[in-house]
Amino acid sequence: MDEGKPAVSRRNFLAAAAASGAAVVATPPGAGQAAAQGAAGLAKSAPTSAPSHAQMEAEIGKPIKVAATMAEPGGRPGSDYMVDVLRALDIDYVATNPASSCRGLHESINNYAMNKKPELLTAMHEEVATAMAHGYAKVSGKPMGLLFHGTVGIQHAVMAFYNAWCDRVPMLVMSGNHIDAAHRPPGIPTTHAAQDPLSIVRDFTKWDDQPGSLQAAVESMMRAHKIAMTPPYGPVCISLDAHLQEGSAPASQIRIPKMTKVSPAQGNSEDVRDAARMLVAAQNPVIVVDRAARTHKFQGLLVELAELLGAGVVDQLGRQNFPSRHPLNQTSRARGVAAAADVLLGLELNDFWGIVNSYSDVAEPKQGRRAKEGAKLISINSRDLFLKANYQDFQRFQDVDLAMAADAEATLPALIEAVKSAMTPEARAAAAKRGAALGSAVAKQVERLIGVDATYAWDASPISTARLSAELWAVIKNEDWALVSRDVRLSNWPHRLWNFDKPYQYIGDSGGAGQGYGMGAAIGAALAHREHGRFVVNLQGDGDLMYGPGALWSAVHHKIPLMTVMHNNRAYHQEVMHVQRVGNWRDRGVERAHIGTTIENPHVDFATLARSMGMQGIGPIADPAELGPALRRAAQIVKAGEPVMVDVVSQPR
Amino acid sequence: MKSMIPALVIGLACLSASVSSARADAARGKEIYTKVGCYQCHGYDGQGGNTGPRLAPEPMELDALKTFIRNASATAMPPYSANLVSDGDVADIHAYLASVRKPPAGKDIPLLNNP
Ligand code: HEC
Repeated sequence: MDEGKPAVSRRNFLAAAAASGAAVVATPPGAGQAAAQGAAGLAKSAPTSAPSHAQMEAEIGKPIKVAATMAEPGGRPGSDYMVDVLRALDIDYVATNPASSCRGLHESINNYAMNKKPELLTAMHEEVATAMAHGYAKVSGKPMGLLFHGTVGIQHAVMAFYNAWCDRVPMLVMSGNHIDAAHRPPGIPTTHAAQDPLSIVRDFTKWDDQPGSLQAAVESMMRAHKIAMTPPYGPVCISLDAHLQEGSAPASQIRIPKMTKVSPAQGNSEDVRDAARMLVAAQNPVIVVDRAARTHKFQGLLVELAELLGAGVVDQLGRQNFPSRHPLNQTSRARGVAAAADVLLGLELNDFWGIVNSYSDVAEPKQGRRAKEGAKLISINSRDLFLKANYQDFQRFQDVDLAMAADAEATLPALIEAVKSAMTPEARAAAAKRGAALGSAVAKQVERLIGVDATYAWDASPISTARLSAELWAVIKNEDWALVSRDVRLSNWPHRLWNFDKPYQYIGDSGGAGQGYGMGAAIGAALAHREHGRFVVNLQGDGDLMYGPGALWSAVHHKIPLMTVMHNNRAYHQEVMHVQRVGNWRDRGVERAHIGTTIENPHVDFATLARSMGMQGIGPIADPAELGPALRRAAQIVKAGEPVMVDVVSQPR
Repeated sequence: MKSMIPALVIGLACLSASVSSARADAARGKEIYTKVGCYQCHGYDGQGGNTGPRLAPEPMELDALKTFIRNASATAMPPYSANLVSDGDVADIHAYLASVRKPPAGKDIPLLNNP
C-alpha cells in the first residue's frame, strides 16, 4: 500500500494530468497509440490519490478529455480477463492491501466478479495478507491470490514470502507496476515503479514474470499457478502492469488457457525397490518425517508403511504427518530412537544433517555424529528437484546412501507395495515384535509426561504451559477441532496431551521462522476450515502478534470463527535466553537479559487490543482457576461464528 | 516497661530472620532465581520444559547444584560463575527450589485423566 502522501502538489498534478489528457486525445484512438502500447490497446493510468474528473475540471476551469480506450467498442477491460484466469484456476480468495497500481484488477474483482470467486480479503499489511495465504493453502491445499502494490507493497510482504518459500507453500502473488516511463503518471506512481520489481523476491520464490501484453499475462498467470502447485510447492509472483489491467482488448484477441495439473515426481521403480529391501532387512528401521503431508492421503500411507515395517516414526511436525497417539509415534523419544536406527528413511526433511549429527550452542560450539556409525540413510525429498543459491534454508549437506529427488507422498504407494513384496515371514515377525516394544516404551514415556511432568507448576501463576494445554483440551476434545499453529513454544504440551489423528488437525509452523506469521496464518487457515464448520484454535505468541496486530481486524471483518489463545509470556522469549547465554559465557552479567527482549512496562493488554478492533477479548488471565471458565466462554463465541482472543499470562515455555 | 516487650519481640524476630537469610532464604532465592534468569529455561516454578529440565520440588543436593551450574559449560546450560551468582545466592536459590510445593499426583488431577 502507498505509505506516503502524493509527492507532487495538487496543483502541479492537475496541470500535468490536463496536459497528458490533451496528448491522449491528440492521438487518434486505435492507430499510433495502439502500436505504441501493444496489440491489446492499452490505456494509461492516472496517479494515485487522483481527484475526480469533475473536481479536476472545476479546479483548472476547462473541460478535460480522457483516453477512450476503456470504452473501446468490443473491448473488455484487461483486468476482467485476469479475473477469468483466477476463476479458471479455482482461486476463491484474493487478499489485498489496496493500492493504485492494482486498482484495475481490484475494480474487476469488485464489479465484474461482484466480489465472488474470487472474494477480496482486506488485510492491513502485506505481511499479514501473505501469512493469511500461507495458512489458507496448508488447509485448503490450494493457493490464495494476493494482490499487492508494486515496490512498497512487495517490500512489505518480502519476509512472509520467505516463510512460504521455506515452508513449501503455494501462493499466487499479483502486483502492479508502471513500467512505461514515457506514459506513466509522475509522482508517486513513478516512485513506486521499477524495471525489475520482483528481483527482491526472486531468491525465494519459485518463479516470477512481468508479461508485456495481456495475452502474455493470462498465460503467465497460468504458468505461475502450475509451477506453484508442482511439488515442491512454493510462492510465485507476477507483475501485472497497470497498463495491462486498465487497458482493454476484444475477446477474440485473448485466449484463456485451461488449468494444467502436473503430477508430482515419483521415485523410480529401481530405487524404490532398493529402498524397500534396505528397510525390510534393517534390524531397526526408523522413519523421520517433516514437510511431507501435502494432502489428506499422506497420513494413512505413512501409518501403513510404519506398521508394515514395525518402524518408529519421528515426526518433525512440519505437517500433520502421523497420528500423535499411534504407538509407533516415537517423537517424544526422538533423539534416542533416531540414534539407534540402522536404516533411517527421511521423508521431505529440511535438515537431514541435523538428524544424523548434533550441534551444541555452547561457548565453543561442538559438533558430532549422533546417528549410529554405518547407519544407512535413504532420502525422498522433492526439494532436491528445486533449490536456489542465496538463502541457506536448505541446511547443511548430508550425504546419503539412496536419494530420490521425488515427492514423498507420491512415492509412498509404490514403496509400500515394494515393502510388501520384499517382506518374508521372519521379517514380518520381527516387525511385529519391534513395533510392540516401541509401543510399550512410548506408552511408559507418555505416562510419565502426563502423569508426572505435566503436574509440576499445576497451580502456578503465570500459568504453566501444560495446564494451559490441558484446560484447552477439555474444551475442544468433543469438537471437530483443528490447531493452526505450532506448539513448540509451549514445550509441545498440546502434542503430548491432545489426540491429533485427523489429517487436517495440524499444519506446522512458519517455515522460515520469520515473526509476524502467527495471527495471519491462523486467520487464513481458519477461513479454509470455516466451510467445514471446524473449531479452530490458534496458540499465539505475544511478540509475533505485535508485528501485525491489524490482522485481528481482518478476522472480525471477514467473520472468521477462531479461538486465539495468547501465550503471553511478555517477551521475545527466545531472545531473552540468547542474550542470557552470551552474558553467562562472557561472565559479565546475567541480570540485564531483559533489556531489549521483554515486552513489559507496559504490559500489552491483548483483550483490549482485540476489542478495539471489534473482536471479543477475554483476560488477561493469570489465575489458573479462572482459565477453564474463560476458555469455555470463548468457545461459545467461536461456536457463534466469531473470532475471540483469550489473553493468558503464561510461563515462558 | 510493659510497652517495650512487644518492641523487643519484634526486634528479636527481625534478628532471627536476618540470621536465617544469611543461611538460606527461600523468598530471596525466588527473587534471585528470577533476576539471574534461571526461570527462562526452567520455568518460574522450576517445573522444566523443552528448554531445561525440572529443578523443583525436591531439587538435587545444594553441593551438586552448585557444582553443576558452575561447570555447566560442557552442557546445553550456560555456566554461572561465582562472579555472577555467589555461593550465598545459590544457597538461597536452592532453598527456593526446595520450598516449591509438591504438586498433586497426576491421577488426582481430572484434567490430566481426560483422554
Ligand atoms: C539458557 C537456559 C538456561 C538457564 C538460563 C539456566 N539453565 Fe539450568 N539447565 C539448562 C539446560 C538446557 C540444562 C540441561 C543441561 C544438560 O544436561 O545438558 C540445565 C540443567 C540444570 C541443572 C541440572 C538438572 C539435572 O537434573 O540434571 C540444574 C541444577 C540447573 N540447570 C540449574 C539452573 C539454575 C539454578 C539456573 C540459574 C542460576 C539455571 N539453571 C539457568 C538451561 C538453563
